[in-house]
Amino acid sequence: MPKPLDIERLKKIEKRIHEIAQEWGFLTTDIQFEIVGAQKMLEGMAYMFPVNFSHWSFGRDYEMHRTVYDHTGSGIPYETVWNFTPPVALLVETNPFALNTIIIGHVYAHVDFFLASKFLQLGRFFSDIADETYYAAERFREYEVQYGKDEVEKTIDAGMAIWWQQHPDLFFEEELDEDIARDRLLTTEREKARPGKDVASQFKQGGLEDEVLRRKLRFLAERVPPEPIYDLLGYIARYSPLLKSWQKDILSVMRNQARSLAPQRKTKLLNEGWATYWHVRFMRRLFEEGLLTAEEHGIYNDFHAGVTRENKVGFNWYRIGLALFEYIEEKYNKGRFGREYEACEDPVKKAYWDTHAMKGREKIFHVRSFYSDRMAIEEFFTDEFIHQMQLYIWEAYVDEKSGETTYYIAEKDPAVIRRMLTRSHTLYGIEPIVIQNANHNRSGHLYLNHLNTDVELDPKRRDGTLFHIFTLWGKPVSLETNIDDKRVVCSFDGKKPEVKPKPKI
Amino acid sequence: MSIFVPEPTSERGRGDAKRHRDKQKEVLKENLPKVIAEESIITGGQGKVKIPIRRLSIPDFRPGKSDGGDVGVGQGDGAEGEILGKRPGKGKPGQAGEEPGEDYIDTEIEIAEILELMFEDLGLPSLEEKQVKELVVELGWKIRGTSKSGPWPLLNTKRTVQEGMKRFWFLFEALKSETGIGELICFSALKKADGIFSEALLLLQNAVLLPIETEVVPFPILHTDDLRFHNIQPDVQYQSQAVVIAMMDVSGSMSQEKKYLARSMLFWLVRFLEKIYEKVVIRFIIHHTNAKNVEEDVFFKTGESGGTYCYTAYELAGSLIDTEYPPAQWNVYAWHFSDGEDFSTDRTVEELKKLFARKINMFGYGELRVGETWRLLHSLSDSELFTAFSKAFAVEKTEVDGVRVMTGTDEPLLGIVITRKEHIFPAIKQFLKKDRWMTHA
Repeated sequence: MPKPLDIERLKKIEKRIHEIAQEWGFLTTDIQFEIVGAQKMLEGMAYMFPVNFSHWSFGRDYEMHRTVYDHTGSGIPYETVWNFTPPVALLVETNPFALNTIIIGHVYAHVDFFLASKFLQLGRFFSDIADETYYAAERFREYEVQYGKDEVEKTIDAGMAIWWQQHPDLFFEEELDEDIARDRLLTTEREKARPGKDVASQFKQGGLEDEVLRRKLRFLAERVPPEPIYDLLGYIARYSPLLKSWQKDILSVMRNQARSLAPQRKTKLLNEGWATYWHVRFMRRLFEEGLLTAEEHGIYNDFHAGVTRENKVGFNWYRIGLALFEYIEEKYNKGRFGREYEACEDPVKKAYWDTHAMKGREKIFHVRSFYSDRMAIEEFFTDEFIHQMQLYIWEAYVDEKSGETTYYIAEKDPAVIRRMLTRSHTLYGIEPIVIQNANHNRSGHLYLNHLNTDVELDPKRRDGTLFHIFTLWGKPVSLETNIDDKRVVCSFDGKKPEVKPKPKI
Repeated sequence: MSIFVPEPTSERGRGDAKRHRDKQKEVLKENLPKVIAEESIITGGQGKVKIPIRRLSIPDFRPGKSDGGDVGVGQGDGAEGEILGKRPGKGKPGQAGEEPGEDYIDTEIEIAEILELMFEDLGLPSLEEKQVKELVVELGWKIRGTSKSGPWPLLNTKRTVQEGMKRFWFLFEALKSETGIGELICFSALKKADGIFSEALLLLQNAVLLPIETEVVPFPILHTDDLRFHNIQPDVQYQSQAVVIAMMDVSGSMSQEKKYLARSMLFWLVRFLEKIYEKVVIRFIIHHTNAKNVEEDVFFKTGESGGTYCYTAYELAGSLIDTEYPPAQWNVYAWHFSDGEDFSTDRTVEELKKLFARKINMFGYGELRVGETWRLLHSLSDSELFTAFSKAFAVEKTEVDGVRVMTGTDEPLLGIVITRKEHIFPAIKQFLKKDRWMTHA
């Protein structure tokens, strides 16, 4: 039987962690720690927010977490903390004291990251997502009563198919209002065409140039949307001729949720690495101060080892992120940066390089404020680090006869590994797809363009997504993409999906 | 600095998880023909089985070629080419739910749940045992409960004394409250009056009694009302029991694949019967040129060469029914699996008529024609047995979901031609049709 959680002691230790955090230069605020049962924690993990609307996919994940929990039963070694104002974190009442202590330290580091990272600052910027989600859950329940559970589910299903489709640059705000966007573009074009004061412009008069401009302006005036739009959900919710206002409400809530979470997807490695790096130091400190017993320190060691276990066929964010910050710290403490170091070609000299620069601490705080995962990978996943981490690329081979899958190490070249990681962290699994034309064939058909010309989409999922977009748009939907290195147009008209080569213009 | 315990909330996840399970079931239902032919089910036995079910997910635009293998970044010791691990296949390609690009999880599902889905698919309501013929077996007499009258030999002394004791306490208490006299004196009076209340009351009212007794020792006071007799009733048992007599041709022409189909069919038939009967027994008979009773494992494993006399099996089934499973006490389902070859159809038909004369519930004939699928179904000619049966008995021939079906109009005869795994489900559906297993109930 686990001992009942000593809340008073936990409060004391949280206070101490807060003090240490300030001493270390963390940005911090009043964090709300809720002590909850395992069920609420598991729900929090599955529903993305403390309270969220009802959907079977959340239920599916909840059941999965629940099964794992029921079968291991050794506590929940995860933290759940939301980038709200103020931040909210969950502690499980049945977790051992030491585990909850690690989690408090871990959460303090996450909160520092939330407050400092330029990306996560943005995550809080869109809306007060905590309140919005809370009230949306209530509204959606009313919609279920009023319009039917199935109808609501259909809308959410469709929204989920495209809710991560956003502008690749988080900081870029797309103009969804067509009139404003068009005006802006027309003005720019006209400005560009206005004769300047320089000599060359004085001589450019009339004729061909004017005709080009006129055509350009006419094209812009007719084009819908005036500029390609990445924000599929935002555009469709706004301009779909089909959607009722309650459906638009559902979609815009979902859009806000996805937008507020997107920055976390782009900083997951750094954020988890940061939290792990610091929970190690919090625990060491608390133990030194005699606030944790030797037994509790042992429990901590076990959990920490579990969380940072090497993963042969996966990327353990906690392990690699922790090592990354330690690597950066050491590199900058020893002055292993700058032109002189980079130019040095003597491997022996480099191995013993130490200028006692002691810039490590400063550098890691800088990285947590200004870097995304991709930036960190490009800069710090050096050959040296990849070797240290023993990273490799694995591949899976499926035997056609037996159906058996074999996993093997396919590649150890650090350049290839770095390229693969950079690539997957450039788009974070979200293919750049824009609404090219919302009045395709002059009949209000939707024409999407997959801008990556060397990536092929999973055909089943692709057609499934087109189906979902069709339910939202109500008219045929086409997607220009790649199959076998050729451009094709996949479309769905409400009956069956179709693939055709892209017509030559 | 706020650590606090919030109000508990209701479990939201469970409801949504159920919705996911329901959606999975819809998918499962669509794939029933594949699912029920799963080898893991038949070998897994009763109760729960593990079958690969798609973990439903919302599609999105995601890179991936349908034929591409997985790839990713991992960590650890090892040189290029080193094998990291293996994962066994989830069934052979083409089996239930094996589609590329989807996530699968092995989900445990109860056989009963699959049966429910099959009934739903058939539009049958959940079955209750009542719908089945119950057989009344007389076992003599049986004591059941008590009554207030009866012959003396059936006096239930224990219950009678219990009632008498109750009456003692009732009278004793009444005496005390009526007279207001102490309990030892009341008890003495009651004892002296032999338990007769009015006499005891008189004694107490008219005489001064000394407490003769030193403690209250209750004794039963019996009125006619207190007598209890054993009640006896004729002892009958409503038995719902069934026997499946499984017969199989094990001559050279019966391949392993055909036997697998027979096994799968039998598995589901028995599971179904178990649902509606309390007790189901299976007996196995194999035959080629002669027939014998065997154990289950022998039934499915034996392979012999040589010719085929089907009547020998029917004959043996007949004597098994006569000696061990009289239809007055048993619901008898006889099933014969064969590839349609028979060297003496006349005698076979004759023996089958004898089986029908024994009033069995059903005779099922499962004809396994695997390996002949290269022919178009309509050109698959009727076998010797199929032809013989359809000539000898009044039958209707139909084709349902690609399965050739023969239904007896006068006799409880059902013939089904199965050419591949996917036929098991429609074949069982034919069997499950109510008017078939309810035959002459």
